[in-house]
Amino acid sequence: MRALRIASLIAVPLLLAALAIGFFLFERQGGFAPYRVPKDSGRVVANDAQTLQRGEYLARIGDCAACHTTSGGAPWVGGRGFATGYGMIYSSNLSSDREHGIGAWSVDEFAHAMRHGVSRRGPLYPVFPYEHFATLDEADIDALYAYLRSLPASANVPPANRLDFPASSRSALVLWRMLHYRPQAQSPAAAREDRGRYLVDGLGHCAMCHSTREANGALAVDGYLAGGRIPGSGWYAPSLDAKQLQRYSVEQLADYLRAGASDHGAAYGPMAEVTYRSLQFLNEEDAVAMARYLKNVPRRPARKTEFTLLPDPPRQQAVAGNGAEIYRQACADCHGKDGEGKVGQYPALRDAVAATAPDPINAVRIVLYGGFAAATAHNPQPYSMPPFVQQLNPGEIAAVTNYVRETFGGQRSQLTAADVEAMHGIVLD
Amino acid sequence: MLRRLALLVCLLTLAPCVPAQEDGTFGTRLAACAACHGKRGEGVQGAEYYPHLAGKPAGYLFEQLKGFRDGRRVSTQMAWYVRFADGAFLQQIADYYASLPPRTRGADTGAAQLTEERRRVAQNLVEHGDPAHDVPACSACHGANLAGLEPGVPALLGLPVDYVIAQFGAWREGVRNGAPPDCMHDVAGKIPADDIRAIAVYLSQQSNVDGVRPSPPGSFVPPRACGSLPHAQEAK
Repeated sequence: MRALRIASLIAVPLLLAALAIGFFLFERQGGFAPYRVPKDSGRVVANDAQTLQRGEYLARIGDCAACHTTSGGAPWVGGRGFATGYGMIYSSNLSSDREHGIGAWSVDEFAHAMRHGVSRRGPLYPVFPYEHFATLDEADIDALYAYLRSLPASANVPPANRLDFPASSRSALVLWRMLHYRPQAQSPAAAREDRGRYLVDGLGHCAMCHSTREANGALAVDGYLAGGRIPGSGWYAPSLDAKQLQRYSVEQLADYLRAGASDHGAAYGPMAEVTYRSLQFLNEEDAVAMARYLKNVPRRPARKTEFTLLPDPPRQQAVAGNGAEIYRQACADCHGKDGEGKVGQYPALRDAVAATAPDPINAVRIVLYGGFAAATAHNPQPYSMPPFVQQLNPGEIAAVTNYVRETFGGQRSQLTAADVEAMHGIVLD
Repeated sequence: MLRRLALLVCLLTLAPCVPAQEDGTFGTRLAACAACHGKRGEGVQGAEYYPHLAGKPAGYLFEQLKGFRDGRRVSTQMAWYVRFADGAFLQQIADYYASLPPRTRGADTGAAQLTEERRRVAQNLVEHGDPAHDVPACSACHGANLAGLEPGVPALLGLPVDYVIAQFGAWREGVRNGAPPDCMHDVAGKIPADDIRAIAVYLSQQSNVDGVRPSPPGSFVPPRACGSLPHAQEAK
């Protein structure tokens, strides 16, 4: 009897505390409001040519079609797979089909999904950047809605998500939101005052790749644009801040955003895709606004993150050959003997992202397989980096990459042949 | 229009067709291509797989580049290089390699020599086909000299054995798709695997010693309709 009373004396406050914490967390993610998907208010959205054109521009800047289209597939009908730490998530059909697309959605429901990440299908997985789209103003959401409604209907049914429990349950998303979702962390009004910030933080959703992630794939608040390994893609997205971007002038950075290449570096992998499908369509004013904002983002203190290519890298397998000598023979012709590059042709390696990034993954990938910068209206005939996978053995690639990173980027990476071997194989998505 | 006209003129005169926009640096932009296909598209020494590109018809090369980009032709490597390229750049790459002199020697690495009997089988298929099984001769579309036909049929001379075998496999399995009607898919399905190997070895040993360019458009009429080759379809 007495034991029971003591137990309840402990248990009741614990239970109350748990309830209070739960209540607090639930309130912090917005309470019940996000889960009340609005009924059609009957509000009609203009769909004149000018609005549709505006919507198409915004959809491009938001890079919406990139995720909602498979490689070589019909645009906007969904089905592109995203590898996450919890399994595969497939993008949805955004065409105007009433059953399989969003043709039956009212503008209110569309705006709600964009701002709160909840649709008639329930809470959406945070691969959909609703936290960023929440800052969009109504006119932009209306124009996007009008544009999406003008797309041809498609009955395409994307593959079902393949997720591990508990991520497979949509109700687990409520828990995730309680832990990690902070609606309106940036007020739309504040964002709107600065066009560059509005584009970077809103439609551009740059932070989805360029911010540091913490537990459960959440974006860390103090990791804003601080750089990180992109989940599922095997590329490192560099930090975007005043220090990182100091080698660009505002105009150079604006040009780089639209062209995907500059004398300071070229975009490969996921960023080449962003250039090709999205940023090349930026108008000059918006490109300059984004560049100006990015060049003013304060640098976050570096986190102590150990980036490795192998889970438990064996250190006994050393490099092969002399990195400096390999550089002289294989790289210096184009990139210059001091990593200075050739203006208008080959980017400098000194202070290049691949050299300075704490994560060596981009450098290894690009030396192994090379690549083409995106071919766009602003860079119609891109230069390319040749692959060295056939010419150099893994130990030599490790040696030359270590040399480049230490000499031109001040990064002491200790890559070995085993690290390089682990990176064999081209990753397309 | 003007560019097409210029292309036509240089095709008719069999002069090397250097793209109008070539400022002397275009080839240097293609360092990634050169690693496997050679600095001037002639193939790299000892290549066991990668085909040479120089002098192949621009229409053919353009169709292949688009195919890699859009997934009609599956190659992770090629997709990696071309997937963020617009049509204009791919056309320039195609024009550039088409303008270069064709490779004049056979493949560097031959598979085992063919026995006299297998060689006869291969040569017969290449020159006469197998009418009983509705297999046209290679030469009927690719030219009596196997040097190709402008603007869409490639030369078959001196290609690596494994490359040719892999293409037959790809046509049969649907990982290399031409626009319908897909003539090579139809043809590949009708040739026994053994004979495909014999044909591949035979073709790898043929060389284009005189550097003959593909025949001008319309100089002969291929017997098959091919979706990727409008001229053949029109002929049908």
